[in-house]
This record gives sequence, structure tokens and C-alpha cells, in this order.
Amino acid sequence: MKKVILVADDSPTIRKFVSISLKVKGYEIIQVADGMQALEVLPSEQIDLVITDLNMPNIDGFELIKTIRTNEDYREIPIIILSSLSGNEDIEKGMQCGANAYLLKPFDSKRVLYEVSKFLN
Amino acid sequence: MMRSENLSQLFSKLDDLKKVFTYGEKLIPVIQSLGEFMKETVPLLENINRSIAESTSKIPKATNQIQNVTSATEMATTEILDLVDSLNDDLTDIEKTMVEVLAKETDKKDFLMSLIPMLKKENAELFIKDFLNKNCSTEKLGVLLLQVGKMKNDSNSIALSLQVQDITSQQLATVNHLIESVQERLSSLIEDFDNTKIIEGQDNLNIPEGASFDPNARYSKSLVPQQEVDSIFSKEMQTASQAEIDKLFN
Repeated sequence: MKKVILVADDSPTIRKFVSISLKVKGYEIIQVADGMQALEVLPSEQIDLVITDLNMPNIDGFELIKTIRTNEDYREIPIIILSSLSGNEDIEKGMQCGANAYLLKPFDSKRVLYEVSKFLN
Repeated sequence: MMRSENLSQLFSKLDDLKKVFTYGEKLIPVIQSLGEFMKETVPLLENINRSIAESTSKIPKATNQIQNVTSATEMATTEILDLVDSLNDDLTDIEKTMVEVLAKETDKKDFLMSLIPMLKKENAELFIKDFLNKNCSTEKLGVLLLQVGKMKNDSNSIALSLQVQDITSQQLATVNHLIESVQERLSSLIEDFDNTKIIEGQDNLNIPEGASFDPNARYSKSLVPQQEVDSIFSKEMQTASQAEIDKLFN
């Protein structure tokens, strides 16, 4: 059975690039443009991993991670942050919210694949 | 007695009044020149005000243009990524087929080579090797497979470079935000000056609600920032070394 990855990013370019990077290993990708859409998708799909941006409209990445971590049904889902925010306070905040990994943009597709396979295989 | 004192006071007051008039005479030209200066300055200030008002009213168009640029580059980038994706799919299919053909060719070669000891005829080895040289493509296939691998790497590099669009759009969003702040300041200045509302009747700013961007977004391929992130995360979690990542893909 294919593993399903939820990608939340308001940039279509990034969503597409992540999809291309992960498709080669046979993962199924669901793309959403913000945290609110991500939270709408979570109850209806069996999500194995979440990749999220931090700066997003409506509900940002930090809020999304906190919401996932406080929900009993989803709290075990691995979360990878993909962001251009490189300040220590953002990285630490991401970690405190409960992210499992933090990748800076622009990112290498191999690194994304590595992080994903680390949690899913 | 009283009369003389009163008269003396009256003369003193008259003297003061005379001094005031004398001072006033000196002041009148100054006031006149000030009036003339104001006459000349007010049209100039009105002119400046009009110019600022005109420039301010054009700002929404500038921000709209910037947003149009972002949308256009976003669309073009997505189209290019679609093509890269399709190219990658084709290359993967080609690679898969070539691996299968290579395996068959290798089998064929091994089979023919295994015949050599069985054949007692003189020059059998030479004959088979010559046949293989002419009919077996294992080496060429190997070279082609390497080239396909390189093409796949190149297309990945193209996709990686296209992330610059995301960074650029964040930088443009920052510029739009700055322009919006400048417009607000100028508008309030003009409102203070002549009680006119600049934005009324003009194009409204089209910055989407809840727009999110990183004002410090930079496009850099340096590994150093990611290593710094890893060092923060590594305090609590196990992070990857480049060797580990490469091992996964080789």
C-alpha cells in the first residue's frame, strides 16, 4: 500500500517540486495551500507524513503542527518543516511545536527523500 | 498737584505708544515680505501636494503589476516543472527498459562464452568473441545508461533551481508590503494637509488578506544554513550526514 504524504505550502512551485521529488519513490502526494486546508484533509485521508511550510495564510505551519500534536488521532504523524525562515528562534519554535525535521528552502530533493524515508521506511 | 502727576503719566504712556508705532513701522515691511513669501510658497506647497497625491494614487497600480509578475512567473515555473516531471518519467521508463535489455544482452554474452570450452573446433573462441563484438551491445548500453542517469540528475538540478521562483515571490511580497506602508504614510500626510482622501475613487491595494511571506527569504545553494539548522535539531534528534544521504541514492 502506498504511503500518503500531505504537503502544505502556499507556493504551487514548492508543492510541485516536492511532489516530483517524492513521486520517484512511489509515495502518494496530497497537496494543500495552507494549514486550514491541511486540517480539513486530515480526517478524511490516512496520512502517513506531513510536510509543511511555516508562512502560510489562514493557519500557519506552527499552528498546524501544534494542532496535529494535540490531536490524539494524528499526534504520531511525523512532520517535516520546509521553510525559508532560518532564524534560530523559528527553528527552535518549530522543534518545540513538535516537528521531526526542519529543511531550509531552497532544498535538495535527495535530502527531502532521505528525511521522508527515515520516517516511513 | 494731582493734575500734574496725571499729565506726566499720560505723557509717559504717549511716549510708549510712540515707541510701539516706531517699532510697528519697522515691522510692517517684514510682515509684508512674509506675506509675499507666503503667496509664493502656498502654490508651491499645493504643487508638491498634488504631485504626492498623483504619485500615491499610482502606487496601487504598481503593487498590482508586481503581483501580476508573481502570478506569471508562478504559472510559467509550474509549467516548466510539469515538463521536467514528464521528462523524468520518460527517462525513468527508458532507463528501466535499458536495464532489461542490458540484462538480456549480458545473459546472451555469458551463454555464448560458456560455449567456448564445449566447442572443440580450432578458433572457436576467436569466432565467438568476434561474433559478440559485432552483435552484443552490453558496453554501449552501459554507456547509454550512464548518460540517462546524468540527464535525470540534470533535470533534477533544473527543478531545484526553479525554487528561486518561490523565494522571488516572497521578496516581491515584501516589496509590496513596503509600498503599502509608504502609501499609507503619504495618504495620511496629504489628508492632514488639505483634508482630501487619496485612496477614495482610486484603485484599491490588492494585497491579499493574510498574505504570508518571509521578508528575509534568500536563494542560496550553500549547505551552511542547513547545517546550522541540523546542529540545532541534532541536540534532540538524529540528523543526516551527506554520506548517509548519498548512500541512500547510490
